Parts: sequence; structure tokens; C-alpha cells
Amino acid sequence: MSQLKDPIKDGIARGWKISGGTFGPPPEKIVCDVAIIGSGAGAGITAELLSKAGLQVVIIEEGPLKSSTDFNQLESEAYPSLYQESAARKTEDKAINILQGRCVGGSTTVNWTSSFRTPASTLQFWQDQFGLSSYTPEALAPYFAQAEQRLNITPWLMAPNENNALLRRGAATLGIPTASIARNVKGCWNLGSCGLGCPTNAKQSMLVTTIPAALELGAQLLTETRAERFELANGRVTALICRNVEPNGALAQAGRAQIATKVIAKHYVLAGGAINSPAVLLRSSAPDPYGRLGIRTFLHPVVMSSGIFAQKVEAWSGAPQSIYTDHFLQTQAIDGAMGYKLEAPPLHPLIFASTVPGFGQAQHELLASFPHNHTLLALLRDGFHDEAPGGKVGLRADNSAVLDYPLTDYVMDGGRRALLSMMEIQFAAGAQQVMPLHEMAAPYTSWAQARAAVQALPMKPRLLKIVSAHVMGGCGLAGTERQGVTRPDGVHWQLSNLSIHDGSLFPTSIGANPQLSVYGAVNRLAQGLAKRLTGRDVALA
Amino acid sequence: MRQAHAKLRAMQRRTLLKLGLTSAAALVVAGGAVSWLLPPGLQAGGRLSLAGREVFLAVGRAVLDKSLPQEEVSRQRALDGLLNRIDTLVQALPPHAQAELSQLLSLLASAAGRHALANLSHPWPQASIAELQQALQDMRLSALALRQQAYGALHDIATSAYFSDSETWPLLGYPGPLKI
Repeated sequence: MSQLKDPIKDGIARGWKISGGTFGPPPEKIVCDVAIIGSGAGAGITAELLSKAGLQVVIIEEGPLKSSTDFNQLESEAYPSLYQESAARKTEDKAINILQGRCVGGSTTVNWTSSFRTPASTLQFWQDQFGLSSYTPEALAPYFAQAEQRLNITPWLMAPNENNALLRRGAATLGIPTASIARNVKGCWNLGSCGLGCPTNAKQSMLVTTIPAALELGAQLLTETRAERFELANGRVTALICRNVEPNGALAQAGRAQIATKVIAKHYVLAGGAINSPAVLLRSSAPDPYGRLGIRTFLHPVVMSSGIFAQKVEAWSGAPQSIYTDHFLQTQAIDGAMGYKLEAPPLHPLIFASTVPGFGQAQHELLASFPHNHTLLALLRDGFHDEAPGGKVGLRADNSAVLDYPLTDYVMDGGRRALLSMMEIQFAAGAQQVMPLHEMAAPYTSWAQARAAVQALPMKPRLLKIVSAHVMGGCGLAGTERQGVTRPDGVHWQLSNLSIHDGSLFPTSIGANPQLSVYGAVNRLAQGLAKRLTGRDVALA
Repeated sequence: MRQAHAKLRAMQRRTLLKLGLTSAAALVVAGGAVSWLLPPGLQAGGRLSLAGREVFLAVGRAVLDKSLPQEEVSRQRALDGLLNRIDTLVQALPPHAQAELSQLLSLLASAAGRHALANLSHPWPQASIAELQQALQDMRLSALALRQQAYGALHDIATSAYFSDSETWPLLGYPGPLKI
């Protein structure tokens, strides 16, 4: 347990208004100016700005409030307490494992700090295909700049750890340019435990920035409380029905009746993230005249290659993800063959052991090589081609959300090409052996052998190991109501007092780690909302 | 084998693994076998039932064969620890995932399911490591989605649970988190 200050515990002691979970049951009825669903990237930015504008804000978060005192850098604690479905949320056919946060701060509490502005090519596609003429780099620049200042997003100047340096060296040998990743950290200890909750509060997640700012200004936070559904009438939201949930997400029972909280607000902001936000609207039977709700949900499907090196790599140690290359996003048109961004993920024992394919002797040998293991990942850029239309969110019989993401041949071909690129880089960096994460792969000891093998492997769901840490889309922005769920100003096309302020807004995948895209876009949307609701001008920095 | 696969396809048509919470205690098995007499794989609340423990004990033996202690007493202790950690892991899963896992384990624990899903002729406690590993390999590369999904669940839960314990980290050469 950290001996450092815990700003959340301090705030609680000073009298922040928090209920749910260990803080006692929330009231049965709450009336406020704005109800915000979620407490992650979009919710936090919105909560701070609207509170600054003088509005009475209530934040409803499904997960628990955990803070640096709780962050012991242990996967066995972090995955069940901070992640959706214990970090084991899966697509409908079980082919993709999804990492998404579920706690105060949302995915920002557990992400790896990588910060990129939305690429110009992505924004151009939105302008051209979705009528989003105001989504230009120039128009968004001041909003990105404010977010970068507010969250201390700066280029990472420390030397990359060996796990990341190998990407730089291998790529350089092949003439492939790489660069440093900017990170939202202040006084980082270079530990590498970002994905388990930052124990030093260096990571500038929503947990330690915007949510405290809102709470200091009088906002109210409900924890372990799920936004079940909206009540609707005449094109408006009239109430939000919430339920208490157990730590595993089951609805809490109290005697025979379930505890519910009814929140009545003038305006509602849905910011539960992709998959979750569309699910709330589905549970509400929200109007969806053009069938856009929940479709075009994107994942940046990730494929990986594991390499073993003579030297120690110790990929659990040091700032994760400090080097990247966009080279393979630029070797073809954005709507051509699938492009991919390469990064080097941190490795911890539980996630490494369960993600690398195999069992018995083969698995044991791979696990024993852990300190010498360097893994590369490729973020496949989905959403820009007819054969990468993403997935669709649906509801199970118990009303829980599920994403059906069909893996097309186009996406699987992208996977193959990404594996080939990564393996070539790893051999160029001096790998003794390289194994792509595929159920039929073996360790290969030369680039020629690896290339021949991977060209022949069947790229099929569940044979090719695919994961996702970036969930986007499902309530897409569009300039016309036929093409999306949300207007360019963030308001739902059919429900006039509902805004959507999270990653579910994106009409395509971003093509870069998405947190700063959410901060920048929502900064602009929330400033607009604040102005419309109060007449006041507020800014993030 | 063909008959077993035909049974499996029939099961898939009955959307075996899409049953929701309300059907958690029920299980459809093709061929008219009485389904609701099969014990579920999980108890209420998510702990492994005896049927579930039987399956995971065998799966653990096979998946973690070279990672478990070689000495018999230590091996048994490690397997007990594994089952306890699987309980903890499963109890943290959401209801829909617990329901699916309970059905899967129930099916695997039954003779018909063990044959059809795992292609394992000997009961779990009696199967040799080689037989178990062959069964796992069969499921892993199966053309049937259901069998591949079953393999994924068994593999991922067994390995996640095993290596979540710091006592297993010396195998990985992982020193644990830095104290701050």
C-alpha cells in the first residue's frame, strides 16, 4: 500500500458528496441541473466544465471509487475491481477480449497514458463522409491544447525502457521512422503499473483531475450505481432510473425489491463509453428511426507478436508505451488495405500467461522466458472501408450489453500483414525467436521461416489472438440524422435534452490511442453545452 | 465422432450458450437426455460445484503440467490453491458469464458432454495428462465455434487464476511490483 498522499481520500474527508457502495445507499430521488452517466474521459471533462459554469451536477458511475491507497500494482486486484467484466469482456463470438475501465475515472484510470490528437486524415474522413464540417484540426486545436495543458500531456523525454527501445531499434534497422509518445503524467515514477491504477497519482486520469475539480465545486457522485434506462416522453428525457450493483456487476438485491434511484435533471449527458452508452439507449427503447444506434462500434482490433531476446527486457518495468510508429498507417490510402499503428505493450504475469496461446511444455518454456520477452502490438484501424464496418451493440436476456463484431476477411488480412511487419521488426532488433500470437503458430528462429509460416496460417477468429483496449463508436456523430445518433454539437438527434459526450461519438475508429480525442472533442461540446444552459463561457485551461 | 458432432450442432441450434440468467439452472442436451438433472458447474454465488471442480482439476493438471510443482504433495497443494483462486476469479465475473460457464462445466462434467465437447473418453479424474492434452488440442483447433470457445474459457481461467498468485512468479522470473 502506498504511503503517499491520496487526494481522493483527502477530498472525501473534506466532505465531497459521494454515495453508493461503502459510502451508503444513494437517495431514492435526486433533482439536479445535469445528470452525467459515467465518470471517464468524456464525463470528467463535462463534469468539470458544467460545474465551473455554476450548474448542479450529479455523476453516476457503475464502478467503485478506488484511489491510490487501493492501487497495490496487483493484477489479481485491479482486473476485478477496475475493469469491465474483470478485464474479460468479450465480443459475442468470443474472438476478441476487450479491456475497458469500470471505476471512477473510467478507462482513464487504467489506461497506459498514450496521448495523441485525432489524426488529420481521420478528421478529413469525418468531414467528407459524415458531414462533420466543424471537425477540422484547426477548429479543434485550441480544445486539444486546453486538454493537453489541463492534463499535463507532454512528450515523454525519459529514455524508453528496453521493451520500447527494441521497437525503435528494429524499425530503424529497416528504415522505418518511430517517435516518442506524449503521456498525461506529472512527476511520473517510471514504474510501469499504469494499467493497474497509478499508485503515485502521477497519471493525470479523470480520477485525480476533473472529477475532484467537479466535486470541489459541489457536484455529487454516485458510485456502484448503474444507469439502467431513461424514461422518455415527447422527444425528451424525463428521468434516469438507476440501480445499485454488486462488485461483479450483478444488480443488488435488498429484500425482494431492488434499490433504485430516480434522477431528474434539466439535461442529461450520456458518457458511459462505447458499448455501455448505446446499451443505456437500447434499454430505454430510445428513438432510432434510421437504425444507427449501436452500429459502427469499433475496436482497433489488436494482434501481437512475442519475441525472445538474449538480453533482459523486463517488459513490466518502466513507462509503458513510449515509442510508436505510424508508418503502416501511411503506406496505403485510409480506405485502402487496413493500416495499423505499432506499439510495445507492457507485460504483467497474469495477462501474459493467459494471453499467449498454448499449454503444457510449450507454454512453460514461453513463460520461463518472460524476463527476456518483448511483445509488439498492432492497432488495426477499422471503420474506413466497407469491409471494416465495425460491430453492433445488443442486449442479452438479462439486459447486459454485448458487442457483436464480425471479423471479416479484410480485417483478418490486416491482421496477417501486421504480424508480418511486427515479426520483421523483431528479428531486425535481434530477436532469437519470434512467435505471433496464433493458436497454430510455433516459435520461429528466422525472418524467412516466420514469414513463410505466417503467410500460410489460417487467419480465422479464435485462432488468431485478438484483443482490444479502445472501444469507439455506436452513438456516432453525423451532420444529418440519417447517418448518426448524435448531432455535431453532441446532442442526440431525437432527444433534445440528451447529450452524448464519450468515445461512442466517433464515426470511425481514431487510428490512434483515443483518450485525447475524447478530451478534445468533448471539451468543445461541453463548453457549447455550458454556454447554452447558462450563458457562461468556461474553459478547461 | 460424426454422431457426437451432430449432437453438438443440435445443441448449437438450441443456443446453448446464449441462455440468460433465468435459464441458469437449465441445460439443453440433444438426443432427449433429461437436461435439468445435470448438476450445474457453479453453485449460486459463483463458486465451483463438485462437477466444476472435477473439470478444472483435470484442466489444471493438463494446461499447467510443466508449471505445477513436480513433487506430488506440493503439486496437490498447488492444485488446491488453483481451484480456490478459480473460485475467486469466477465470483468476480458478471452474471451472464457465470451462467455460461456454469452450463459449460455442467456439460463437460457429464459423460455425453465430455465425449461430444472434449472428445475425452475417460472420466476427468482418470484421464492421463496426455489424453487431457490431446482433448484440449482437439478443442483448440476444432472447426466448431462452441468447442473453440470452450477451450478458450478453460485455458484462460486456469492460467489467469494460477499466475495471479505471487508464489508462481519465480517461474516467470517476475520479481513483483516495486514497493513505494
